[in-house]
Amino acid sequence: MNDQWPDRLSEYLDDELTPAERAALDAHLAGCATCRAVLDDLTRVRARARALPDQRPANDLWPAIARQIATGRRGPRVPALSVPQLLAASLALMLASGGLAWLAARRGVHASASAAAASPAWGAAPAWKSESSYAAAITQLEAALEAGRSSGALDTVTVRALVHSLAVVDTAILEARRALAADPASAYLNHHLADTMRRKLDLLRQASAIVSSRT
Amino acid sequence: MALAASGDGRAFERLYRSHVARVHSLARRMIDLEHADDLTQEVFVRAWRKLGTFRGESAFGTWLHRLAVNVILGKRQAVGVERDRFLTGAAIDDAATRSREPELALDFEDAIGRLPPGARQVFLLHDVAGYTHEEIATLLDIVPGTSKSQLFHARMALRGYLDR
Repeated sequence: MNDQWPDRLSEYLDDELTPAERAALDAHLAGCATCRAVLDDLTRVRARARALPDQRPANDLWPAIARQIATGRRGPRVPALSVPQLLAASLALMLASGGLAWLAARRGVHASASAAAASPAWGAAPAWKSESSYAAAITQLEAALEAGRSSGALDTVTVRALVHSLAVVDTAILEARRALAADPASAYLNHHLADTMRRKLDLLRQASAIVSSRT
Repeated sequence: MALAASGDGRAFERLYRSHVARVHSLARRMIDLEHADDLTQEVFVRAWRKLGTFRGESAFGTWLHRLAVNVILGKRQAVGVERDRFLTGAAIDDAATRSREPELALDFEDAIGRLPPGARQVFLLHDVAGYTHEEIATLLDIVPGTSKSQLFHARMALRGYLDR
């Protein structure tokens, strides 16, 4: 067996030789049973390695990981607002809610729960119990906006105001969640998120009343 | 993935359950079973903290695996696997000889664990995890030629355990 070739069999297997080297080794393999046997073994070793099964740990490590995540001062490192920025976002949210209420008043809509309940299509906006309730209310409102927009029953200004207000709300909720993820024990941030969610619900009730009055 | 990155612990737990087997197996094979649990925990805690940096250029599993490799390699010194990292001279001959002795009751995976740490790491990173020699060279602070040589000798040493 040519001494230069056995050490190159691994590279041959991984296609790392130059074309000239590969051609020369091909010629050698044609006449060397020993090298062919070694190459066959190396091929099988690589195949066994690739097929090695992964095994879960004997113990569930999640509880310990969850504790470290919960007690750590840092959460996912995404940009989070400072408290002053959260206050500014909350103010913007209130202004957005107020703007929508003004819009409703201007059109003579009483954005109350009873007014919203007068339309069986929309009903009263569900009291906030969980994020799934929000999801259902949002889906209803989006469907109403689309129906109103496509039928021409809702004017562009109204639609734009509704969409903008909802975007402000969603941004505020996302930022509140991020801040809370970084400091889950903060009483202020927990209250802030809950308050922001309630404001979104109020916004949805007002928007639902406007849509009901125009469609 | 997006839910986890926004701070949803339950979403991150689902990611953990999907990938823990691969991460734990990597830690067990590259270091040992004794340290695998602690290393796995550290990988996922660090992944939680770095989720915001995941930009989606690769699959999440690929990103997590690379993070795991870096964590595990960073712990090599702490768990005392720095000495006699690579197969050299007599150690190569000895490993190849042992692989031909049928009385050794080691299966293939046990045999991987018996390789010197450096050769084992090259073998695991290349043949099990699919890294290139250039990537391995960067991770292990060696040259690609050393990675190729160690891979060859690791494969040769494991030939005798193929049927176990």
